[in-house]
Amino acid sequence: MTKERDDSGISRRRFLKEGALAPFALALAAAGGGTVYLRPGEAHGFVLRPPGAIVARRFLAACVRCGKCAQACPYHSIRLQDRGVGIGTPYIAARHTPCYLCPDLPCVKACPSGALDQKTTEVEKVRMGTAQIVDREGCLSIRGLRCEVCYRQCPLIDQAITLEPRHNPRTGEHTIMEPVVHREKCVGCGVCENACVLPKPVIVVRETVEVQRDSYDF
Amino acid sequence: MTSRWWLPRRAVQTGTILLLASPAAGFTFFSGNLASAELAGVRLSDPLACLQAVIGSGVLVPSFLFGALLVTAFYFVLGGRSFCAWVCPVGFLTELAEKFSRRTRRGGRRLPLATGRYVLFVVLATVAATGVPLFEVLSPIGIMGRAVAFASLVPLLVPAAILLVEIFAAPRVWCRSLCPLGAFYALIARFSPLKVGFHRERCTGCGDCVAACPVPEVLDPLWQSDACRVRAGACTRCLACLDSCPERALSVGFRFKKEPLSLTDEGRPIEKSAP
Repeated sequence: MTKERDDSGISRRRFLKEGALAPFALALAAAGGGTVYLRPGEAHGFVLRPPGAIVARRFLAACVRCGKCAQACPYHSIRLQDRGVGIGTPYIAARHTPCYLCPDLPCVKACPSGALDQKTTEVEKVRMGTAQIVDREGCLSIRGLRCEVCYRQCPLIDQAITLEPRHNPRTGEHTIMEPVVHREKCVGCGVCENACVLPKPVIVVRETVEVQRDSYDF
Repeated sequence: MTSRWWLPRRAVQTGTILLLASPAAGFTFFSGNLASAELAGVRLSDPLACLQAVIGSGVLVPSFLFGALLVTAFYFVLGGRSFCAWVCPVGFLTELAEKFSRRTRRGGRRLPLATGRYVLFVVLATVAATGVPLFEVLSPIGIMGRAVAFASLVPLLVPAAILLVEIFAAPRVWCRSLCPLGAFYALIARFSPLKVGFHRERCTGCGDCVAACPVPEVLDPLWQSDACRVRAGACTRCLACLDSCPERALSVGFRFKKEPLSLTDEGRPIEKSAP
């Protein structure tokens, strides 16, 4: 039996195992753990969460990483993070598949822990984030073309995104139809980010920023 | 291997993994993973995951708490750490690793079983102080569940790391001494009615049960005192000891009082041992 073999003194094989193999295995294990947990910080510090997600900090604690929201999503829009502190938490890669905001919100219903707030019932009141045009010089519409794809695709067309016409000074005889996002209406679903025709979307969903009034109101 | 309980246990462990994979295969009777799930319409939650979520976020959903209590009650009745031996996919994996490490190296330095209690404390203190649910972040159980359900394979490096450590440095260290969920179930297991009973009059002291047991420390009190059952919470109720004993001195059964266990593993009463 293996039991006896242990008592037979330290063989060369065993010495090698204890002296070299164990530290090597530990180093390999640490490298594995490091690959999963040590990662460069989020590029923009914002993760697009499913509808009804509570404040980011509390969300990380409330989410038990069960993946039921992802399993409930009929469009497979919800994915689970596979690195870092947020490992296992759901997010939406809008450029790949945006949130189509099902009227019955199956993801919110599936959430057991309240990380997605059960009180979320009206899709128009969801605030996952806010769309922003991050590159005005790149936006085809602002450059004077009649692109307007984000505007046409927006589920809240003429509410969350409107077209604001103005004179095109470059040609002197045309109109620029600039898409403008309205913060009070935009739900942050990411359909515009998904639809943008440019290789890198110029309209993306970012964190909803409340206008900071108290600094300037005296 | 020879134990009668080997096949049922492997069946339950495999069944758990199939259950975790079932949503991906298109079945709808189960969703979620071992942190929180819905099985045939019943919401079930891992009590430690629930505790961390509630402490860390301050959000309390009654059905969530109820699901966690249901699971706690279930494992309380069935021996606490029976979760580890029968359900947990990491337990399944590390058992296979232990087979391998027995071939390469047996013994080695062993952390005391009680370490898990301190890990559990650190996890709860961390979530209370910083809001980071440490165990939900690190949990290889969650990682394996999600790997099965969502094919998210990169995080499998964490269970792989545990395997490496267990095979080459410290056998069974994760399940025995580090897992806070195991420590949590060990706390309730002390008071669980399902226990392994010991019939001293039959014992010849051959030590086969100790060789079969994944946590042999729990059998020590049987030799050192006049205990008539395994009381330690660390006992996973894997029941490997039962059939390892040539004299059938060990049995398993429910008991609610403090008298010696009076049922054999077949449920047949036996004569009480002389004091």
